[in-house]
Amino acid sequence: MKRLHPFTLLAITATLPALAWILPAPIGGLAMAGVAIMVCAAAGARAVLLPALITAVPFWFFLYLLHDLTATIAIGLRLTTMIASFVWLVAVLPPPRLVEALVAAGWSTSLAYLFAATLSAVPALQARATRIVEAQRCRGLSPRGSPLAKLRALRALALPLVLSALHEVDERALALETRGMVGVGKRARRTPLAPPPDSRRQRAMRWGMLAVAVVALTWRLAWRG
Amino acid sequence: MPVRLLVLIPVAAAINLALSAVVDAVSLPLFLDTTGTVLATALGGPLVGVATGALTSLVNSLRNPTFLPFVAVQVIVALYAWVAARTGLFRSLKTAVPAGLGLGVIAAATSTPISYLVFGCTTTGGIAITTKIGQLLGLSALGACFFGSFIADFGDKAVTFALVATILHAMPRRTAARFPWTLRAMGEDSTPPPPAA
Repeated sequence: MKRLHPFTLLAITATLPALAWILPAPIGGLAMAGVAIMVCAAAGARAVLLPALITAVPFWFFLYLLHDLTATIAIGLRLTTMIASFVWLVAVLPPPRLVEALVAAGWSTSLAYLFAATLSAVPALQARATRIVEAQRCRGLSPRGSPLAKLRALRALALPLVLSALHEVDERALALETRGMVGVGKRARRTPLAPPPDSRRQRAMRWGMLAVAVVALTWRLAWRG
Repeated sequence: MPVRLLVLIPVAAAINLALSAVVDAVSLPLFLDTTGTVLATALGGPLVGVATGALTSLVNSLRNPTFLPFVAVQVIVALYAWVAARTGLFRSLKTAVPAGLGLGVIAAATSTPISYLVFGCTTTGGIAITTKIGQLLGLSALGACFFGSFIADFGDKAVTFALVATILHAMPRRTAARFPWTLRAMGEDSTPPPPAA
């Protein structure tokens, strides 16, 4: 599965939940949830299937709290399909490979940059947030007390984090400009270093999945009518 | 779009996702997951805000796929923040907090159909429990779902707007002036920014 083109992996991830919602419950949801769980298990029972099931369990609990058994099963199977499909996608598709595929397909370099830059900025900013929390605690900032005291503490923690992040914007912009980034709307074609291999068979598979979803939707709408 | 605004988008999306660590530290029942979206709009305009919101939902869904359907809420937040920035509502806390409360109602109204149709109102544990309280109060299924979303969003968006107003006023003047919408959002400049500032 990991050798499949990123667009094929995306198509599988989109098709499974779409069919789970389109096909009649609970059979449609059960079938799609079964497929999603199987692909998760194939990717790794402990590393992929277990996190997917752990993410899905609270939804089943809260669905049972709010709905009757029929609705719980119908919605629960759809949500399980969606969660398992995405957890599987994250496990089998490294973001740099997706960026390479986007660039190779002629998508804007800016779009590929946005995706890659966010993925790298989030852990860095989260680590900085943890350091700021620890530093402010060392200075005697207490996160306890009344809601007003907590809001004051929130201000003291959030301001340095956000201002330091904004301060970096100019440095990053300068670094990108020196590397030839021209901004959105001004096309600059890049050559991908290692474009993921695609094939006619996989392209046909992607169109096939789209056709199946459209046919299922049409059939469902007609069947309801 | 200039490179500076392009760079602002992933930074603001990362702010959306990193602020959860700060919220956890003070144990407040808030998300603050639209702070970066509102800030990006107030600094760079609606396109930057919408892109930040969409990117936040996309990247967040890689960690938890249940966030992806709520991309519409992020877009609505960005558009509302643009209107607030155009009218200078970030000039003080007195104007920013009521504007945030208004956004809370709109965000709840936007997220309710998604939460109801896709998740059966079980988006988060807190929302599920407040929805159950709504059911016990005799509200209809959709009404209880709105009640749950409203409780979650109302205070959150007011704090978000207050925080963004505080950030804008705390920014060094030279940094603020580099972004096209900042001074107008702070009510200090009524002239619209040039198209590609």
